[in-house]
Amino acid sequence: MRGLGHLLLAAVLVFLIGPFVIICVAGLSGGETLAFPPEGLSLRWVAKVFTVESFRAAFWLSIALAFGSTAVALALGIPAAYALERYDPPGAEVVRAIVTAPIVVPGIIVGLALLRHLVIPLGIPVPLALMIGHTALLVPYAVRVVSGSLVNLRPDIEEAAVMLGASRLQAFAKVVLPNIRAGIMAAFIIGFITSFNQVPVSLFLTGPGITTLPIDMMFYMEFNYDPSVAALSGLLALMSLGVVMVAEKLLGLSRYV
Amino acid sequence: MFQNRRIGLWLLAPAAIFIALGFILPVAILLSGAFRAEDGWTLGHYLEFFAQPLNREVFWRTFRLGLIVTAVAAVVGYGVALAVVEAGPKSKGRLVALLVLPLMISPVARTYAWLVILGRTGFLNVFLTASGLVDSPLRLLFTETAVFIGLIQLFFPLMVLPLISSLENLPRDVIPAARVLGASWPAVFFKVILPLTREGLVVGGTLVFVGSLTAYVTPAILGGSKVLMLETLLYQRVSVANDFAAAAVIAVILIVMSVVTSVALKRLASVRRVKREVA
Amino acid sequence: MSDFLTLERLTLGYGATIAVDSLDFAMKPGELVALLGPSGCGKTTTMRAIAGLMTPVSGRIELDGRDITRVPANRRGIGLVFQSYALFPHLTVFENVAFGLRLARVPAAQVRTRVEAALASVGLSHLADRQPKALSGGQQQRVALARSIVVEPKLLLLDEPLSNLDARLRLEMRSELARLQRELGIAMIYVTHDQAEALALADRIIVMREGRIEQAGTPEEIYERPVSGFVANFIGFENCFALRDGKLKGLAAPGFDTGTATGLAWRPNAVRLGRGAHRGTVAGASYLGQVVEYLLATPLGDVKAEVPAAAPRHAIGAEIAFDLPQDGAVVLHRD
Repeated sequence: MRGLGHLLLAAVLVFLIGPFVIICVAGLSGGETLAFPPEGLSLRWVAKVFTVESFRAAFWLSIALAFGSTAVALALGIPAAYALERYDPPGAEVVRAIVTAPIVVPGIIVGLALLRHLVIPLGIPVPLALMIGHTALLVPYAVRVVSGSLVNLRPDIEEAAVMLGASRLQAFAKVVLPNIRAGIMAAFIIGFITSFNQVPVSLFLTGPGITTLPIDMMFYMEFNYDPSVAALSGLLALMSLGVVMVAEKLLGLSRYV
Repeated sequence: MFQNRRIGLWLLAPAAIFIALGFILPVAILLSGAFRAEDGWTLGHYLEFFAQPLNREVFWRTFRLGLIVTAVAAVVGYGVALAVVEAGPKSKGRLVALLVLPLMISPVARTYAWLVILGRTGFLNVFLTASGLVDSPLRLLFTETAVFIGLIQLFFPLMVLPLISSLENLPRDVIPAARVLGASWPAVFFKVILPLTREGLVVGGTLVFVGSLTAYVTPAILGGSKVLMLETLLYQRVSVANDFAAAAVIAVILIVMSVVTSVALKRLASVRRVKREVA
Repeated sequence: MSDFLTLERLTLGYGATIAVDSLDFAMKPGELVALLGPSGCGKTTTMRAIAGLMTPVSGRIELDGRDITRVPANRRGIGLVFQSYALFPHLTVFENVAFGLRLARVPAAQVRTRVEAALASVGLSHLADRQPKALSGGQQQRVALARSIVVEPKLLLLDEPLSNLDARLRLEMRSELARLQRELGIAMIYVTHDQAEALALADRIIVMREGRIEQAGTPEEIYERPVSGFVANFIGFENCFALRDGKLKGLAAPGFDTGTATGLAWRPNAVRLGRGAHRGTVAGASYLGQVVEYLLATPLGDVKAEVPAAAPRHAIGAEIAFDLPQDGAVVLHRD
């Protein structure tokens, strides 16, 4: 039984992770076209990635978008999670349903809805619309992860702080926040990665000039069959791997996914 | 818990208002397009949608692939989850980190890898022709199989994580106890493990099924226009034909399917639990 | 001496349910009052209202000559030791104790000396740098105590402070609490469901029942003269009998005037076995070391008797005579 289990585990891990190894190697190709095994090894396609202007612009927009939307989602989500866990506000169930609504709506519809009914009629700039879409998508996760950390924190430590002279706000800042920091950081990392990798929400909101990295990659590969997307994919995979490993080490990230 | 519930409202307000105005309102207007005719309300768009064989085909394909992906993920997921739990707490953290990796890596990068593997001149075809197993390269890309492979790689973690956590919450020693009482391995699985981890299975199943229904990148790259799914069809209807009514219809179908599945699965799990507790 | 804390017609509730109904109560400076009662009697709710963690439905709370009914909890100058200790998990023992002083912007040097003094007074100076989770239950309890007294509150509230400790530690902490109270001379309200703790520590005991004060008095008064069946039962009079027309269920109350009483009660050790006007069957016997406890089935109902282990034993099933003597009885005026 045990041997069989290990075999299955190994096979599944090869299936899950193997493609990333292949893409990394394919990106190091010395040849002109995408192939595995590659025709010789070189860094030329990796180098090319950094020279493609649209990749560069898209990368920075994606980074800014990921930072901004995650930060805003947490700024909205932390107080909401706190209220839901600690105050039992009137109408809590309705609010919970509202706040978690973005989970059940496919991203592509969100993007289309924002384009048709926010950007076009109100003239909202595209980057702001992207930000709204990504933030809406992340708020439910922020609420969920932060709620999860709050559940494990006894509410009476806040009362203890109050009895020692702290206002509710001070109690939150000095006692609650330090104890849910790991959860907040985990939510930040998950949110950042989710936004950075997001395709469907961005699909209709991006266009020539303003585009996110994953969308730009999809358009690039439609017209080019060279290994540069493989090289970029490999770079992104390694980046994510690094973040996940560090986060797992520091926070035990897998508890929050 | 704390007494002043009004403070709670103030804390909730920003998130609720943001979601309501920036998200629910535009989405609701868009979805209402699925029911609107020039002179009032109609279900005509639905009839129109399902009247076309292509749309029906896409609908059933999406549903079918979702079911298959969920079923395969569940079967393999139990095996993997049991192996992870048996490996002990030390290796568990590392294994789980590896298992969630596909969720963390850019879906474009992930799917592109399958392009390199499954393409006409891809790794698999090179391997198969070189070893003489096939004469000419197989057509693997732009097939349902390719979409299935991409989906299962992406969503497998969403099945296995809840299974791992519900297996960990099994009361200690129930499995040895069942073995001592003479239960065979299949009996242990079906009579002990499965009923006790049903909640994990329902959570994982919902995530995988709903995820498969609404995935975009995987069917777009691995299925292309040959193997359309509802999401890719929606994109096509809008970008090619500017057909917003059809897009709204597809959107409503996707949301209804997602909500119905999650509610039904949740109901199923809790109804059975009540029965067990009564009995 | 004038009253230090007064509660006037204090009514407390959660939503539509009333937990404490029009409570009146006063205590003197330096007094240690125990709020005693079973769970749900309103003792913890009363304590939370005094602390300011709960807003009264109506009524007044006055502390040291000042109306604090609407004063927020953090400005009342009241300390609270939680049942769960509620230590801050992210701070060391030292920082836990220093928390209140730092909030009050006490100069750093003074913080150090005062925290050290507080830790010394609970015997934990050597653990100042530990994290709370590395401490035993008894040590956490002491940290919680030190954290509350270091800010020199006017009044210290203790919520079942010993209920999470094992029996031996509980005795140790009990005498420590008594010592601290003597040394600090601080007024304390001690919430508990354990009559032994209340008797051992309190200057005055308030027995609560369903949101009202059932009886208030010195430990001696409560212990020796419970006014109601409820208090009697709570304080160890396990044999309580209702009177009908001044009679003990048909049998003549043996030779004393019951007046307007509604019931009589005896502790198990007041029941005499072997002779007397009543008869019962031995239904159970437990050897407890010093004493043997018998359970008798009698026409009055179950009677519990406790006799020295050296006395002759009675077999289960034996029918024996027993006496409920007048000098061991308390007269109850309510049920």
